[in-house]
Amino acid sequence: MIGLFLAAMRFQAQVVRREPDYLMSLVTIPLLTVAFLAIMGNAGRADLAPYAVMGAALMTIWATALFVSGELIDADRWEGTLEGVLAAPAPYQVAYLGRIATVTMISFLGLVESALIAWLVFGVTFPVPHAGLLVLTLACTAFSMVGTASIMAPLFVLARSARIFQNSLSYPFYLLGGTVVPVVLLPEWLRPVSNAIFLSWASDLLRDCLRAEEPVAAPARLGVIVGLGVLGFGIGHLLTRAVFKRVRENGSVGFA
Amino acid sequence: MRNTARVLRYAFASAMADLRATYTWKSWGLAWLLRMLFQVTLFAFVGKLIGDPRVVEYLVIGNSVFIIADVVMLVCASTSWERMSGTLPLLVASPAAPFTVFTGRSVQWLLDGLACSTISLLVLPQFLGVQLPLGTRLAVVPLIAVIAVSVYFFGLVLGGLALRAMAARNLIGRVGSIGLMLLTGVQVPVSFWPSPLESLAQLLPLTHGLGAVRAALGNGSASDVLRGIALEIVVGIGWALVAAFTYWRLVESGRRDGTIEFGG
Repeated sequence: MIGLFLAAMRFQAQVVRREPDYLMSLVTIPLLTVAFLAIMGNAGRADLAPYAVMGAALMTIWATALFVSGELIDADRWEGTLEGVLAAPAPYQVAYLGRIATVTMISFLGLVESALIAWLVFGVTFPVPHAGLLVLTLACTAFSMVGTASIMAPLFVLARSARIFQNSLSYPFYLLGGTVVPVVLLPEWLRPVSNAIFLSWASDLLRDCLRAEEPVAAPARLGVIVGLGVLGFGIGHLLTRAVFKRVRENGSVGFA
Repeated sequence: MRNTARVLRYAFASAMADLRATYTWKSWGLAWLLRMLFQVTLFAFVGKLIGDPRVVEYLVIGNSVFIIADVVMLVCASTSWERMSGTLPLLVASPAAPFTVFTGRSVQWLLDGLACSTISLLVLPQFLGVQLPLGTRLAVVPLIAVIAVSVYFFGLVLGGLALRAMAARNLIGRVGSIGLMLLTGVQVPVSFWPSPLESLAQLLPLTHGLGAVRAALGNGSASDVLRGIALEIVVGIGWALVAAFTYWRLVESGRRDGTIEFGG
């Protein structure tokens, strides 16, 4: 099982290397760091720089999951390899999780890019007082991102207007996930929605890691991020099984 | 002239067929439009994070107008679809100028963008606590339409580049769009940037038109509005000429080195 997972990870790394279009979010979205920092700098609020850097990074991670991980099953279907994946004795879900894990790991380069852009364009740097917790939170965020992306991949196979919905799940989640602006600033009635999105917990805790004060209730908040990730894995598992059952039954495995 | 009008009419029909194939009313309204409104809202909330209502207003106006540029820049992708569908050699072989065809071929984004931008400007300000008179907001819609055309020709130039570098077609469009967002006064005044970038912004579409919209919605004089929109038209004509040259070069060099079909 672990061998399959690692092989799938290696395979996806090769796919990404050969198709640079997959990395478009990594090229374009960190540029939004410049927009956020310009807005903040122009308003005399350079102190908000960590919001800009962390926000653009989280947007990159989400967008990469949406546009790359979300397309994995559908891309296999288009390329005619899905039949082979389903016919093989290896569990396909492990293979897809391995591939999603690679995409997610690559997407975290967005954080490095955003920090570099902030430094190179505006000379902005900031301390990381809780580096250990930051690394742990990033790891939990990656785990939950893989879980959430495992929902997207089968969902986009089901939806007839998959591309449109795929495009449309970017900015709503950037806002509701509190990537740049903490969810506490959103209207009260939106908060329950935000609380159900792991990204909102991750972004809050990541920003707290950049503050001098000790983050409040960090273990519990990490627990929520991981818990929502586990929920994502569960839903993704059930959805993938249901989608594959459906395409097998109606003979549309290779008919995208 | 009559032939050009006929080619444009057919290209327009093709664009509208593309639009119908891309969206249903439901998927446009519930997914695409909503996404665009969230985009404006996100930037407006950056203003709320800063805590200055003037910044919120600046961002709501800038990003509502920017939506049209963001959508219209899809012309870059839809232009490159012609090479992907294998129709580029036929366009080159036909007696009509490819530039005429490409000018009409992606106008669906003008309508899409104008609808998104107008709805954003009409609906979002009151939700985001920005006071702008409804009548003035309606009055700036024609100005936004002028911006759309000006950005369209800029996008056509980038589309011409994308036809030469197909692997980077989406990237070219996105970087072009983000470049406009950063430099043309959408998020911060153009004077925020160093003078070479500020000068570059004067040559880009959106800069002057957005200035005119801001003047119309704020306390600008009628002459500010007229001057801004006149400059936007001049910039648009400039980009239209560059676009015409780009497609002429594409065809000429493609004929010479045999890259019309396989040049991507």
